[in-house]
Amino acid sequence: MPVIFSYLFRRLAILLVSIVVAAAILFVLLRLLPGDPANALVSVGADPEQIEAARRQVGSDLPLSEQFFRFIFSLARFDLGASFVSHTPVLPEIGKRLTVTVPLTLMAFVLAIAIALPLGIVAAVKSNRWYGSLISVVSQLGIAVPVFWIGILLVTVFAVNLRLFPSGGFPPRGWARPDAAFDALVLPVITIAIVMSASLIRYVRSATQDVLGSDYLRTARALGASFPEALIRHGIRNASVPVISILGMELASTLLGAVVVERVFSLPGLGSMLLLGIEQRDYPNVQGVLFISTLLVLFLGFFADLAQRLIDPRLRDRSGGVAR
Amino acid sequence: MSDTVTIIASTSGRKRRSLTFTIGAFLVGLHIIVGLMTLIWTPFDPGAMSGERLEAASLLHLAGTDRLGRDLFSLIMIGSRIALIVGTGAIVIGGLIGITIGLLAAFASKTLDDVLAAGLDILIAFPTLLLAMLIVASSDGSSLWTAIFAIGIANSAIVARLTRILAKRVLSMDYITASRISGTSWMGVVAIHILPNIWPTLLVNLALQFGLAVIAEASLSYLGLGAPPPNASWGRLLQEAQGTVYTAPLGAIAPGIALVSLVIGINLLADGLRDLADPTRRSRK
Amino acid sequence: MIGLTTVKGSTQNNRRMISRTAIAAMLLSALTAGAAAAADFDADATITIGSLYEPQNLDNTAGAGQGINEAFNNNVYEGLFRLADSGNVEPVLAKDFKVSEDGLTYTFTLQPGVKFHSGDALTSKDVKFSIERVTSAESKSSRKNSLKVIAGIETPDDATVVIKLSSRSISLPYNLSYVWIINDTATNLTATEDGTGPYELADWRRGSSLALTRFDDYWGQKPSNGDVVFQYFTEATALNNALLTGSVDIITSVQSPDSLVQFKDNVDFTVAEGKSTTKLLLAYNDRVAPFDNVKVRKALARAIDDAKLLKAVWGDYGSLIGSMVPPTDPWFIDLTKTDAYDVESAKALLKEAGYPDGFSFTIDTPNYDPHPIVAQFLQTELAKIGVKVTINVITANEWYSKVYKAHDFQATLQEHVNHRDIVFYGNPDFYWGYNNPKVVDLIKQAEASTTTEEQTNRLKDANTIIAEDAASNWLYLYPQIVVSAKSVTGYPLNGLNAQFFAGGIRKAD
Repeated sequence: MPVIFSYLFRRLAILLVSIVVAAAILFVLLRLLPGDPANALVSVGADPEQIEAARRQVGSDLPLSEQFFRFIFSLARFDLGASFVSHTPVLPEIGKRLTVTVPLTLMAFVLAIAIALPLGIVAAVKSNRWYGSLISVVSQLGIAVPVFWIGILLVTVFAVNLRLFPSGGFPPRGWARPDAAFDALVLPVITIAIVMSASLIRYVRSATQDVLGSDYLRTARALGASFPEALIRHGIRNASVPVISILGMELASTLLGAVVVERVFSLPGLGSMLLLGIEQRDYPNVQGVLFISTLLVLFLGFFADLAQRLIDPRLRDRSGGVAR
Repeated sequence: MSDTVTIIASTSGRKRRSLTFTIGAFLVGLHIIVGLMTLIWTPFDPGAMSGERLEAASLLHLAGTDRLGRDLFSLIMIGSRIALIVGTGAIVIGGLIGITIGLLAAFASKTLDDVLAAGLDILIAFPTLLLAMLIVASSDGSSLWTAIFAIGIANSAIVARLTRILAKRVLSMDYITASRISGTSWMGVVAIHILPNIWPTLLVNLALQFGLAVIAEASLSYLGLGAPPPNASWGRLLQEAQGTVYTAPLGAIAPGIALVSLVIGINLLADGLRDLADPTRRSRK
Repeated sequence: MIGLTTVKGSTQNNRRMISRTAIAAMLLSALTAGAAAAADFDADATITIGSLYEPQNLDNTAGAGQGINEAFNNNVYEGLFRLADSGNVEPVLAKDFKVSEDGLTYTFTLQPGVKFHSGDALTSKDVKFSIERVTSAESKSSRKNSLKVIAGIETPDDATVVIKLSSRSISLPYNLSYVWIINDTATNLTATEDGTGPYELADWRRGSSLALTRFDDYWGQKPSNGDVVFQYFTEATALNNALLTGSVDIITSVQSPDSLVQFKDNVDFTVAEGKSTTKLLLAYNDRVAPFDNVKVRKALARAIDDAKLLKAVWGDYGSLIGSMVPPTDPWFIDLTKTDAYDVESAKALLKEAGYPDGFSFTIDTPNYDPHPIVAQFLQTELAKIGVKVTINVITANEWYSKVYKAHDFQATLQEHVNHRDIVFYGNPDFYWGYNNPKVVDLIKQAEASTTTEEQTNRLKDANTIIAEDAASNWLYLYPQIVVSAKSVTGYPLNGLNAQFFAGGIRKAD
């Protein structure tokens, strides 16, 4: 399919340009932050000489242009440097953090889909029944609640009062003790899944509704297919196109958006690394996390687009994304 | 994003829809009234230490008091005003920037459009909260307006993308080509054809952004980056009450309920607006 | 922040070989935290300690923050001396020391048989290396300044260290308690360690935990547990919940009184109150108007009801202070009567100072608890005397740039953690810019004292003067509260300088 290939090339080219631009924007944005990375290294009582030493160490005494070129050169070698504060190399640290954030996100994602898919379809098909409406109402509630508040409430009920799960933290040796690591993620996963499924239900429902109102479904039924059969054979396939693009976006934004949940549950994930990095002006860590996430987001978007194109024949020879 | 319980629209369905619209209007109206009222009156001076530390709810202090002995109910009422300012400010800023960029992309050359679209895709992939966090962090000293600007700018990408798609859809219509051939300037096209066609959908989307902005501000506050004291934003009240959740649970619940009620109200209203604005949906059987 | 009492009494060498009654007796005599509940304990237990202060790296001369003292002081690294939980300075790796007549030469004899975790033996060269790390140009140690008096270090033999001073320094042993003795062949100290302490580093998971395990060749008394894990939380409520749900055994320093309700009335937990050195300050920029005027500072001190503030933030815990010195220091005097709460005289003073209608100023407020709530309290209190306060919330990092380095502020809130930090008032270049030649001189002389009595008297005088000058506004002294599961005993209570000695902690079988 040559069309697909030329599309692929164009997308890849855009991808590359986006990455470079993103890196530059990142650099500038970070340098706008008031404060100085050297501050994280000094404590009350430090004299001006010590503060200067700290600035030399992190390189914040260099002119901006030099800092920028150093950054771009090391980036080109795929070297993200080492944290100013902990002195640990950024890339392995990100790898370590991903062992928390990726399972957290994926489990939440799977759970959210498992909840949202059936409920969303039911809400669309049975919108005239009380339970169809109930689903819609509950999903309204779900998108209106701040995620940290859900986290706090879940901890209060399920960890503190019922003692079912740990309230926060991650086992020191991580996945070396899979049961403990899994337990630590239960409440955070549920927290994210609640918010995520609430918005997914609405997407699934509206996608299903569009299918239900479509001509081909009516045609299929007129040709003798039963309603469930028509829905499954034609409906799901068509409804899945917009839903897939949304899923891609949701997955990407959850990976990054776990910041708040990781804070509520004191999890050593990517989000908490980023948050701490911003607080401490630890540029290498912040740049590293944001750069890797940008890559991730771009590739996920890329694959979601590709998947859509493969599923929906109508899109194969068109370019551009699909409306959310 | 959201949508309605449309489609197999029976009479009862339509009734339910008007019911959700009514509920939404009621909730939002309530918050507007309360928010306006706080300009002239609250049960207690919100800054005054009018009671003891962490009093339980009573007829005097309907939601109890906080650690400083301030009346929480008054603070939550002021929270309505602040939330409305946050939401409105964020969608005005996000809307202005977003619509401008979206229209620009829609009219731009293919390459520029592609670049803009890709850029928007990246921005959108980053959670609003994260962008807002970076923007707040990079501004000198936080204020309510820093938070509002940050959220507005962060949201503008979504508006821009939607505007671009909607505008392109309109632009691809035959009558636009006809109109342009007949000499209408592109400004004219925007004013005559595009805006009237896309504003209903945009409005619904902006209404939803309103709710998201309120939630985003609460999350920023939770992370210590939101509206600084003495702004009684609900997020800050929740954050301050978190440490006392066992001795004074109401403080960690009441502001949350206020927040959820406003956001639900806005979302229901948005759903209702969509039905009004989208006749094809309404009439579809 | 800080806690300090150690468990020094617990000195039995061999677990289980001693009778139960003997253990019980020792526990009692040890004055340790949770008292005598545990009769028998698991010598290989893992103790999980919950804390809010994760070290930023593992090197206290590289800006590791206070968390590293908590985890490493006397657990992983030892010094020639240590600041014991009682507040006394005790010899550790220094077996013995002599001071010359003129007070300028200190001769230390090292403990014999001490091994580093890598297996090397401790020699005088390691001590020289370690002290020079702290005084080097690249050092970010908070003690670098106080150790500047060291003119030279000699190592006549493997067991002897001679330190020559350029002037008398009565607190040299105290200052040396901040210096970790590190193997002079060690590298990469920001991520690994090579100390002589009872524990060695097992694993560090950034953002989450730091695991220590017993070092079998430890020269001194063996720990009464097997492993120690510091589990870090970013948020106080999450930490409390972790203790409630059993995922940690001890909280080193509780940060909100409201969580204590659940522990106090619960037989499964022990709540113990130690003594803290953490002070909350409303620090003015004494260089700028109107805070260069003593009367204005005194007026503000009188206008603020510290007791009410303490109650709001800490319930029934914590105590009031009248100056920078907490009751645990020998040079403490009760100065709470100086500029006590009195709104009328505050108004009068303000009028005398030429501000009959008050004035307005901005408080740079760090964005973490308790500063924002305290700032709001001050705003309400000062409104009573016509002073209008604007709250400017900043991050800890900005605080260093704006307030600490650039002195670009009118007033700020800050917690001051360290023991003996009254010396900062003797430095006119310090961020608050307090400059009273008398105080500068007294503090300099105090350090050059020949006897501790002399030192104490001079610091008492300095203390009284800064209180009279209302150099800053000392709002209150934090309480130091340690909470543990009932089964855990033997931990330090006071946590001076943020230390937390883990060696004596026992967990019941």
